Amino acid sequence: MSESAPAINFSPSNIRGDALSTPGTALRILGFAILVIAFVMGMRAQDQGLFLRTWMQAWLFVTTISLGALFFLIVHHITHAGWSVVVRRPAEAIAANLQWLWIGFLPFVFYWWKGELDFIFPWANLDALKQISAAEAELVAKKSAFLNDKFFMIRAGVYLVTWVVLARFFVGNSVAQDSDGSMTHTKKLEKWAGPAAILFGLTTSFAAFDWIMSLNPAWFSTMFGVYFFVGCCTGGFAYIGIVCLRLQALGYLKGIITTEHYQDIGKLLFAFGVVFWAYIAFSQYMLIWYGNIPEETAWFLARQIGEWRWVSVVLLFGHFILPFLFLISRWTKRWRGTLLFACVWMVAAQWFDLFYLIQPKIPHDIGVYDTYEQILAHYSNESAHFFSPWNWVLLVGFMLMLTGSTMRRLSSMGLLCIKDPRLNESLRFENM
Amino acid sequence: MTTLSPTTSPLIQGNQIPRKRLYGIMAEFHDPAALMAAADKVRLAGFRWWDCHTPFPVHGLDQAMGIKRTILPVLVFGAGLTGTTIGFCLQAFTNAASFSIWALVWVTGYPFLISGKPLISLPAFIPVMFELAILLSALSAVGIMFLFNGLPRWNHPLLSNKRFLRVTDDRFFIVIESRDPRFFASRTEQFLKDLGAKTVEMVEA
Repeated sequence: MSESAPAINFSPSNIRGDALSTPGTALRILGFAILVIAFVMGMRAQDQGLFLRTWMQAWLFVTTISLGALFFLIVHHITHAGWSVVVRRPAEAIAANLQWLWIGFLPFVFYWWKGELDFIFPWANLDALKQISAAEAELVAKKSAFLNDKFFMIRAGVYLVTWVVLARFFVGNSVAQDSDGSMTHTKKLEKWAGPAAILFGLTTSFAAFDWIMSLNPAWFSTMFGVYFFVGCCTGGFAYIGIVCLRLQALGYLKGIITTEHYQDIGKLLFAFGVVFWAYIAFSQYMLIWYGNIPEETAWFLARQIGEWRWVSVVLLFGHFILPFLFLISRWTKRWRGTLLFACVWMVAAQWFDLFYLIQPKIPHDIGVYDTYEQILAHYSNESAHFFSPWNWVLLVGFMLMLTGSTMRRLSSMGLLCIKDPRLNESLRFENM
Repeated sequence: MTTLSPTTSPLIQGNQIPRKRLYGIMAEFHDPAALMAAADKVRLAGFRWWDCHTPFPVHGLDQAMGIKRTILPVLVFGAGLTGTTIGFCLQAFTNAASFSIWALVWVTGYPFLISGKPLISLPAFIPVMFELAILLSALSAVGIMFLFNGLPRWNHPLLSNKRFLRVTDDRFFIVIESRDPRFFASRTEQFLKDLGAKTVEMVEA
């Protein structure tokens, strides 16, 4: 009821998170130390391919969360949104991580410099690939104008620089508005949000092609860029929800973020993270299943042998069926306990999705077998390496860094866009 | 028109039989806050057949009127599940069954092998199941909403009231219908005046 809205507390204790700085720094240092030690040990690991794929998985996990937050900001400014002003600063703090996340790509540059990029990307060494599978090498050789190491590194640089620039632009202007209160920042952000969306779409799609799809260079899916983008939304929106809920649990933003805002975050998570993900994942699956062309179906075959069969089933239930039934109701999105549970669940589902995308390897001898059942029987003991220590150590390291950096960022730039022209609209927002 | 009582009402004069029935009493307000406060009191007075009319959605009016949340979403979810089931059965029958059923005429399933896939192939069925779920959800959402709101209808007594026309512009109205068990023309009229209504008027059916 607009007439009886309670007075909102804009005192520093409610909208400044200075106390988050010290624990944030501690988490970040701890995470960084874990990653450095893990990398030094990983270079001596027996299965370098497994280590590098796990690094890619853990690094992309935190990167997709930050990209999802960046997408949230872009959409906010494109649509001149009013409701989301009070949750925009947490989203900005998450997106700001893109300014340092490029460091996570350096191991691949290091392996490239050592000439060992083919531990993870088979196309990086066609001669070695020819030894394993001449047919696949022939296919991949035709793609070498795009899939060669120099162009690959240039493209990676373009994506990473683009994300740094976009994050600095969206976060910087918003923070600058806090001090000068000028409307020009809002105008500028709204004007450039459209071009930023195009850049965002192109860079995330091609990053997905380069870093995940080219792990199996003979395979291709035109749906893959969108699939990766949906993953960004899943992780990003869920993580925004977690950050907002935790901030309020710590006593910040009292009376500012309300049930109404949480319901909308829940709606976005339900629409993008659950339903749209299922739509895209199924569209990709159905076209390949119906077409039934060996070089396409091999990718799904690799996810149906041995333990991967169970990974696929868990992903179907964990990323779609269970969260769909859970989040479809209105009250689970409005009650904080259930929303926090759903957000944590969906962040975990996004990590599991990347595990499913990155880790399986297509067996090179599948052409030898006559039937699907023979392949299943032969690879019935295929391990998913789910409990490989890398899987957990790198996850913890990157998550500590992401959380610590987000906390530090929140402490330095405040918890609320205090001078935003639509702040009042957001404070009084109600779902009909 | 505003000074009404059962005996001096232009509707009921002397022992002349009224030409028209009374639909209800309409109270006019000039701002949403006054409407909201009045709606609160009308609800507390225990009226059931009454409604508020505003030019734009007013936040919190539902709570002030004591309107419960609609069960429409649950019904739509059911309609979606029905659509999914129909979609599956339709395809399984036409594509994989060989028996006959009577659906206005006798129809027979035709087991039809398509590109070597099993006769019942869920991935191929899902698009149709999905579309039917959407179709039935959308149609039932609109259809049940019409049903709950008593739509469609050709006319409404309020629409022939001159004063009521400003409801699309800058006036806010509460209308208590004569079929309400607590409705009693003179008393209800006085009640609405006491709520701070700018004008109170009888509306003919």
